[in-house]
Amino acid sequence: MSVTRYHFAHAVNAFFEMPSGVAGKLLPGHLQPLELRHDSAIFAVTAFDFTDSLVGAYQELVLAVIVPPMVKAGGVFPKSAFFPFLLGTSTEASRKHAIARWHLPHHMADIDLDFDVSKDGVQILVHESDKPILDMQISVHDWTIVDQLYQCFMIDADKRYKVDIHMQGRFTEHEEESGSLKLHPHAMTANLSPERIATYPFREMWMRDGLQTFEELESI
Amino acid sequence: MEPQLAPASESTPADAAASPDQLRALHQDYDYSNFYSGMGSDPFDMLAPFDEWWSWARPAGYYLFGQPMLSAPTTRVDIRETKNGTRAEGLVNLASYNYLGLSYRPEVIEASIEATRKFGLGASGSPILSGYLSLHEELVDKLARFKAKKGVLLFPTGYAANLGIISGLMRPGDLVVADQFAHASIVDGIILSKAKARFFRHNSAEDLDRKLSGFSGKKLVVVEGVYSMDGDLANLPEIFEVSRRHGARIMIDEAHSGFLFGENGRGVAEHFGLDGEIDVHMGTFSKSLGGMGGFVAGSAELINYLRGFARPRVFSCALAPGIVAGLIRALEIVVAEPELRQKLHENVDFMQKLLRNAGVDVGESASQVIPVLIRDDRRIFSIVEELMRGGVYLNPIRYPAVGKHRSRVRLSISAAHSEAQLEEAAGVIIRVLRRNGLCQ
Repeated sequence: MSVTRYHFAHAVNAFFEMPSGVAGKLLPGHLQPLELRHDSAIFAVTAFDFTDSLVGAYQELVLAVIVPPMVKAGGVFPKSAFFPFLLGTSTEASRKHAIARWHLPHHMADIDLDFDVSKDGVQILVHESDKPILDMQISVHDWTIVDQLYQCFMIDADKRYKVDIHMQGRFTEHEEESGSLKLHPHAMTANLSPERIATYPFREMWMRDGLQTFEELESI
Repeated sequence: MEPQLAPASESTPADAAASPDQLRALHQDYDYSNFYSGMGSDPFDMLAPFDEWWSWARPAGYYLFGQPMLSAPTTRVDIRETKNGTRAEGLVNLASYNYLGLSYRPEVIEASIEATRKFGLGASGSPILSGYLSLHEELVDKLARFKAKKGVLLFPTGYAANLGIISGLMRPGDLVVADQFAHASIVDGIILSKAKARFFRHNSAEDLDRKLSGFSGKKLVVVEGVYSMDGDLANLPEIFEVSRRHGARIMIDEAHSGFLFGENGRGVAEHFGLDGEIDVHMGTFSKSLGGMGGFVAGSAELINYLRGFARPRVFSCALAPGIVAGLIRALEIVVAEPELRQKLHENVDFMQKLLRNAGVDVGESASQVIPVLIRDDRRIFSIVEELMRGGVYLNPIRYPAVGKHRSRVRLSISAAHSEAQLEEAAGVIIRVLRRNGLCQ
């Protein structure tokens, strides 16, 4: 089996409540949003700082909706499954690579992610030149080393795909609701109904000095 | 100290078959939420994976939930430890809801026995048909007088009461806004009603204002008097003001506060001087009165309407006569012995001081529900095992019942506890937390 590896310094991820109706509009017909509670789906924001990959170092913002995973007896259960409805990256090469290999939808201009790291947490400012896209802040709990499986779903015209992604690294997560999110008016946030998305995450996650491994793309 | 990551192996994750150790590590990361939802074609797809996990999870700590109690839920109990089949005797019981110690009062038991002899085991009918006994009528009248409301309606459980009230009142297209920590029965009531649901940040009147904005239809705001996992009180004055400003009706669930708070014990609404302002008062009989069942109290018009439209009541058998007679006697005791409430609040103050002075994290608790926050989902089970070995009976609470790493043990203080018992239990809790580096 051939795999694709991406080394990263930071993968910062937070989950926010969003109305299920808004989430449903971001998903293709074969996927349903996973609900935190009735009528309340999960909007996931992930900020990557990749240090090495097939296309070199780059930064990436992933906007996704959490969906139910595909499961089978005897298999490893994914930590979560998600449908990325929009990505932004800091280089053209990384965009071309992700579109060609993984069928991931992208904002087609370079964006920048500033990671302001402290002992207690990390703040990420995402912007396109001088236009802000989002500000996100999370805090830490205990650190532990993990190897986690995720499932990512994609579409391309009428084709449906899934890829298993392994994340290995130093990891912290908690649900103390101490973080924050501010979505600015921008092309990347235009379909989100920002006023309906929680301004604080119910789950905050941060992986450092890790390896992201994509298995082979599967048609489903 | 941050752990160091070993160099990444050159083998791919898929190359390696999971070893027993790896499987154990994976299972440790799983919880109920992993098995709630998954894509597939067969509704039984989740059963085998869940069984596989459960065979590891139960002995690893989940066995601590629902171990058989071998005695009445008094202040000391005997438990059969299902992990090894042994009997743990004389544990200080901080796990039962018996806030006023009424479930085992001799006069309550006698009333229940007498009613069972007279009326038999069950009511044998729905309360709208043949199941409404003279005993039910007596409880309704006494409870309405106690709550100072025009009407009361009984339900078979507190869960059924919330389901019946919310789904009885609200319809598709209406809006229900509930505190994010609202009990499952409130959430399920909203689902059954098919109304739109919004949840506001816990106790935040500002977020409630945001969630009510821009909706012009029928609106109901739902809060709890005392929150069952954190023991804090509803921020009722501000929530009431915001609700009224938006033209929303307001409902309070007094499951953990009814018969305990306020000058007359009517609940947190009375405590804040808002008893006459709240539109819908829900309560349970399973906590402070030590029985079972639920109720709604309010205007005669509200009760008359819900009598016809609260389906969980209409389509359930009425409360059993023995239970109802015991509840009547328990309510009479609550009215006749206000010192019971006083004793409970003294016990709460005593226990809170013991724990807080030792640096134990009890959050924002202001009631007989005292969470001892462990904030570590991996260690919560072993800590509860240590507490039981030390002589204290408590249940672990962890994700997904509360947020990830917001795990805790929840203390339920009773008026029946003696100071010596509380001191003994606090001593054990503090020793165990110190051993685990969780307090000074």
